[in-house]
Parts: sequence; structure tokens; C-alpha cells
Amino acid sequence: MEAVTVEELSKDFGGVHALRDVSFTVEVGERLVIIGPNGAGKTTLFNLLNGQQSASAGRIYFYGQEVTRMAIHRRAHLGMARSFQIANLFPNLTVLYNALLALQGTQPFRFQMFRSITAYKSMFARARELLGIVALWEKRDDLVQNIAHGEQEKLELALSLASEPKLLLLDEPTSGLTAAEGAEIIDIIHDLGTDITVLIIAHDMDLAFGVAERIIVLHYGQIIAEGTPEEIQANSRVKEIYMGIEEGKEIAGAN
Amino acid sequence: MDVFVLNMLNGVSFGFILFLLASGFSLIFGVMGILNLSHGALYMVGAYVGWTIAVKYGLNFLFAALMGGLAAGLISLAMERGFFSHLYKQLNEQVLLTFGFIYILTNISMWVWGPIFKAPFTAPFLSGSFNFMDWSYPKARVATILIGLILAIGLWWLQDKTRVGAIVRAGMDDKEMTMALGVNLGLVSTALFFVGSFIAGFAGVIGANLLGVNLGLGMDVLLLALAVVIIGGVGSIQGALLGSMVIGIIDAFGKALFPELAMFTIYLVMIIILLVRPSGLLGRRV
Amino acid sequence: MKTASPKSIRQLWQGQLVPFVPYIAITVIFIILPPLLPSYLQSIMAKILIFSIFAMSLDLLMGYTGLISLGHAAYFGMGGYTIGILMTRYGINSFWIGAPCGILMATLVAAVFGIIALRVSGIYFLLVTFALGQLLFSVAVKWYSVSGGEFGLGGILRPALGIPWFSWNATSFYYFVFLAFAICFFLLYRLVKSPFGHALQGIREGEVRMRVLGYNVWLYKYVTFIVAGAFAGTAGVFFAYHNGIMVPSHLGVITSGLVMLMVILGGLGTLYGPIIGVAVIIIMEFYAGIFAPERWPLILGVTFVVAIMCARAGIGVYLSVFWKRASLIWKQ
Repeated sequence: MEAVTVEELSKDFGGVHALRDVSFTVEVGERLVIIGPNGAGKTTLFNLLNGQQSASAGRIYFYGQEVTRMAIHRRAHLGMARSFQIANLFPNLTVLYNALLALQGTQPFRFQMFRSITAYKSMFARARELLGIVALWEKRDDLVQNIAHGEQEKLELALSLASEPKLLLLDEPTSGLTAAEGAEIIDIIHDLGTDITVLIIAHDMDLAFGVAERIIVLHYGQIIAEGTPEEIQANSRVKEIYMGIEEGKEIAGAN
Repeated sequence: MDVFVLNMLNGVSFGFILFLLASGFSLIFGVMGILNLSHGALYMVGAYVGWTIAVKYGLNFLFAALMGGLAAGLISLAMERGFFSHLYKQLNEQVLLTFGFIYILTNISMWVWGPIFKAPFTAPFLSGSFNFMDWSYPKARVATILIGLILAIGLWWLQDKTRVGAIVRAGMDDKEMTMALGVNLGLVSTALFFVGSFIAGFAGVIGANLLGVNLGLGMDVLLLALAVVIIGGVGSIQGALLGSMVIGIIDAFGKALFPELAMFTIYLVMIIILLVRPSGLLGRRV
Repeated sequence: MKTASPKSIRQLWQGQLVPFVPYIAITVIFIILPPLLPSYLQSIMAKILIFSIFAMSLDLLMGYTGLISLGHAAYFGMGGYTIGILMTRYGINSFWIGAPCGILMATLVAAVFGIIALRVSGIYFLLVTFALGQLLFSVAVKWYSVSGGEFGLGGILRPALGIPWFSWNATSFYYFVFLAFAICFFLLYRLVKSPFGHALQGIREGEVRMRVLGYNVWLYKYVTFIVAGAFAGTAGVFFAYHNGIMVPSHLGVITSGLVMLMVILGGLGTLYGPIIGVAVIIIMEFYAGIFAPERWPLILGVTFVVAIMCARAGIGVYLSVFWKRASLIWKQ
């Protein structure tokens, strides 16, 4: 069964082609990593997949159903979830309530206007589980704006897992994290079940090659290479593109 | 005189008053992101100051208009330096602040000039009408159209053809980038704020023969400026001009055809635009 | 465990008692005290409660959901005008007809205005709500036959409850208003603590994230807009009975601005904050009426400016933080 099928997907911004004729499929349970230089269109692709932006052309299918023009929140109910590269949390709410809102989002009682939220004990139990995965239960009463950056990124990941999604779109889940924290994230991703399909945008090569079953390389909005990690590592065109990036990384790393 | 032409001229002259008022409002909003709700009150203060000079002391009308503008400009500078600069990037707070200023300016005006409305006035040499064959039209309105036209052309030229204009437009698109390029956007913004407010005060005197001089002007004129911005779109001279003309003409024909419902036609058009094209006819984005 | 000594028992009492002092004070002030006060003070307290309902409804919209509306008086005024029209044009005095009609009319207007206003967001939303409120104001000014034009609708009496031996005085009217306030407060309290209420806060903090999490954000905003309008209309109904007269400015930006100031002053995002803001403004208005009635708008404007510049979190929030700290100190 194909979890996601993308056909000739394009996105223009008044003359700038962010994505051009992108086509690929993702099998259920697959770990697909998308890499490419800055501005290659990776985040735009995610935005089109989850509905935050609308495609200029092309189609997107989710478990066989066309979702190209579907509203963001409806895609969540179909089973899509997404994490943001820069943590997109609720700053003036506590860690616990951030988790509760994420858990509630696909529940029917999210429209409940009279019963107190504390009556939903099972949701609180799930929040405990969820925050436990990222070791944030002890900080549950802290305001999100007061917790450390790394903790915010971990919470970001936790929120995307809350709805028990079928498709998880992770946008650079290890960005801004220390090596140790990054390894934690990779472990969490490894522990996800095979009924979840995971798409990851990665700049971190440890993440990319540590998790991927298949890699797609985007460059200037087009797919220029697709294959197993070994195939991609051997691909000369990819190496060409990344040579410049590696050099830049070394210079940055030296600072 | 042909009724249609008469209404058109009435609409256009009123439209130019609105344009003077709304262009400052729109640009300040577009560039600084500040919605100065007291913009209408600045118009009002300009009108009162102009009245004091032109009517009470009988001095030159143009001088009165410039003084009206200056008063409004200086008040706006005080507001910007004293208050807005401390609320950098907190747009909602800035807006609510300007709302408070409406009360303050209106009540102080009442304190200074008293609660009774002042009669509409204009320059002595502009009273009466031009008579040309069987055409007759008030001189003051013709002057309004001329002044409005000159200012519209001037502002458009400033916006599209000068370096300052380019800086302003760049600042609207991307503040950080413009500042990164070494432009002192703060200074440009303050200058723009002053100029926009000056024009509002100036317009208060020019428009005094059309809109009168009273304490309700603060709100009434704000609403009209709002309508212009919603209909014409924010951030451009063209948008302000289009919105002003649409409102001016609708108002003129509305008053002629359905006198009781004139104001409502403006509201109606506003609602239609909002439902159909929320960013305004020539607007940039919502 | 320490053996209980007289000193520590006293400390224990204080630690347990002190946090309750605000609640005790409120109970005393609002429930026990009024019959003992002169009737003009009871009237002021009733006005405070009425405006508190109004202010809490705006806080639901502004503080919890983040929708800043400058036209909220439209629904308040609709509630009041409905009462006025029923009474002066149709002779219908019954509370049991008037109140539901008033609330219903306010809700309907909110339902219509909400669709228009929610087409835009942020500052545009502010402008549009402003314009819509003024639209209603203009209608009231022009439509003399229905609304009494500029002069409004006067002679609105206390409502008929249908209880034969009953007649109104300041005290009975006060408790009548208090009952309405208590019910509204209870309903709003439940709403704010519910999953829906928490979702509103999420929307305020991050709309996009909420959509991604599965919330139909527009629907939440729309429902909240209507609910806020309904409560504002409720306040308007009681205001009509209290004030005896409805004028067009009760629909327009003057009243919208006033209630917004009350909410900001008292503290956004809490239910008790607006109540404090209301009390402060109404008490100030009372004294201004005695000493400097002409300058009241100026005082109001200055208060607005000061509130925004200095007490951004709101007096109510400051008081509660202050009280919590005081409780902690007492406990030791």
C-alpha cells in the first residue's frame, strides 16, 4: 500500500519555482529522508503535503485519497502530523497544556464547552506517556517560553506524535540540538512502529543516514537523485552539490 | 449644470479630501505597521487650528492650512517619540494606544475651543462660484480638486520615482533587510509619520468648508479613512486614491439618489469588498 | 513531624486562611454588604456587575482567543435596544419574553457580523469590527421610528417578572443582577476550563500549529465570536433595565472602547481581571462625575495610555501575583 503519492507537484511564488514537477511515492512504514541544499524546496514540499501552502500544479494522494486541496486540519484527521524546524509551540502555556492541546486535536471532545478538561483522565495519562518519551514530564508545569531550547525542540517532536499519526513529517528534528540530544531523537524515531510512515527533512547527515531506508535529493525544486543511502553516497552529482556545503560546514564548525 | 457632472465633481472634490487624509494613514500603516486611530483626530486638530488662524484672527488661509498641518505633525511627533518608540513591534498595543489618543485630543480640543461646532469656512478669495456660461461651481471645491491633484501627483512621484520612495517601499516589503542594507529606517519612518500627519492636519483646513469643524470629526473622519483603506488597499498612493474616489463618488451619488442612506452605501461597499477581496482592490496582502 | 505548639497552629491557620481572604472579601462585598448600603451605591454595584458580564465576554474574545474587537458594544447595544423596543413600541414588559429576545437578537447580529469580520485577521479584524459597530450606530441614529434616533429609547422600566406581590427596589434589583452575573460567570468559567476553552488559548498562541494539530480554527473563532456576542447581549439586556434609556452610543465605538479599556486595565486572559477593571473605571467615572464631568473622556484616554504603557498585564493579574506572594510570605 502506498502511503503517499506525489504527482508532478509544483509550486511557484510569482516567478520563483520553489518546486517543479516533483513525483515520488512512499510505502507504508517507509523511512524516507529528503536532503538538499538550502532553498531546494524541502520545507515547501512539506508545506504542500500538510496543506499549509497550496500547490500550483500537481496532485497529492494519501492512502489513495486525493488531498491536494484539502484543509490542513482535515489532513490531520486523516492521519498526517508534522513537526516544525523552528519549534512552533504555545509559549505562554505550560508544557503539559501544549501536550494536551496536541492530544486533543483529533479527539471529538475538543468541542466540549462545559466539562472541565481535567475530567479527561485518559488524556492526561497519555500526556504523561508522551512527555515521558522526551523526558519532559518533570517540567510539565513550566511555561514553554521558560524551558531550554533543546527541550523545546524535543517537545516539538512529542507534539507531532500526539495524534498517533499514520504519516509523520519531521522537518529537521535535530536542528539546534547537541549531539547527545540528537541521538535521543534518532532513538525515538527508531522506536516508532512500522505502521507509521516517516518523512524526514535532514541537514544532519547522522540523522539522514542513520534512519533512512531511502533518500530523495532535491535541488532547486527538482528531484535530482533517489535511492538507498549507499546509492546516494556513491552518486557523483550529489557529491558535487554537497562538496560546497561540506566546506562551508567545516568553516562553520571551526567557529 | 448637468446633474451627473455636478455629482461627479462633488464626489471627486470630496474624494480628494479623503485622499489627503487617507494617504497618510495608509502609508503610516503600510510602512510602520502602526494603525494610527487618532489620525482623524489630527485632522480635527488641524481644522481647529486653521479656524483659529483664518477665522478668529482673519489671517491668510494658506498660512492657516500650513499651521494646521504643522500642529498635527508636531503632535504626531510627540506621540511617536514619547510612546510608539517604546512599543516596538507590539502592534496591538500601539493601536490601542492611538485609540486612547483620540479621547485625549478630542477632549483637549473641547477644552480649548468649546463644544459648539464652528461653521465651515474657506479662504475669502475662494468663496463664491466660478461661472462659465450656464455652468456654476463653487471655487473652494475647484481649489480642493486642484490641491488634491497636485498632492496626488507629488506623492506618487515621491513613491515611485525617488530614492526615498524606494526606501519606503522596500521597508514595507522587508524591514530587516532594508535596515541591514544600512538604511536608517527609523528616521525615514519618523519622517513619514510626520509628513502623513502634517497632510492630515492640512487637509483638515482645506476640507473645512466641506466637512466643517466639530468635535465629532475625529471618529467620523477615521471611519472614512478606514473605508478608503479597506476598499482601496493598504500601502500605496494608488490604493488610497482609488479608495478615496470610490467613496467620494458613491457618497455624492448616494446623497443625490438616496439621501437618507448615503452613509450606508459606503458601509455596503466596504462589506462587499471584505467578503470578496479582503485585501482591498489594490492591496498587497491581508 | 513536629509536635504542635500554639505558635505553629496559629501559623497553620494563617497559611490556610490567607489564600481564602480574597474570596471571603468578595463574598462580603458582593453578597452581604449591598443591603446595608445607600441605594445609589447599590446601583453602582449593579452597574459594575452588568459591565463585568460585558467585559468578561470581550475577554473571552480578546484575552483567550486573541481576537481584538473594537465593535463589541454592537451586541451589548442590540440586547439593550431589543428590550427598549419591546417595551416602548410594543408594551411588552415581561422579563421572560424580553430577555430571551434581547439575547437572541444580539446573538444573531454576532452571527452575521462574525462571518464578515472573520474574513480578515489581526489589525484588519480590529478595523472591521469597528466599522460594523459604527454601522449599527448609524442605523440607530437614522431609523427614528424603531430606535428613537439620536434621542434613543427612554422610559425603560424594571422588568415584569410575573410575580404578583413583587415590586422592585434598589436591593431586589441588585440581587437580580447578581444572580444573572453569577450564572454568566459560572457558564464562562466552565467554558474557559473546558477543552474548547483551552483550544482558544492555543489559537491565540499559535494558529498554524493548531490547524496542523487538527483544529478547525475558523470554526472555533466563529463560535467564540457568537458566544461572546450572546453574553454581551445579556449584559445589554440588564443594562437597559438598569439605565432606563438606550442611546445610539451604546452601540458604537465609545462603548466598545470603554469595555476594552476595562478589560485591558483589569487583565487579559483571566475571568476575574475584567471585573477589577470594570470596578476601577466605574468608580473613577463616579468621582469624575462629581469633580470634573467635562474632563472624563480625557481622564479615560490618559488611563488608556497609562494602562498600555505600564500595566500591560493588567491590574487584576498584578493583584493576583501580589496576593500569591503575600500568601507565601504569610505561610512562613
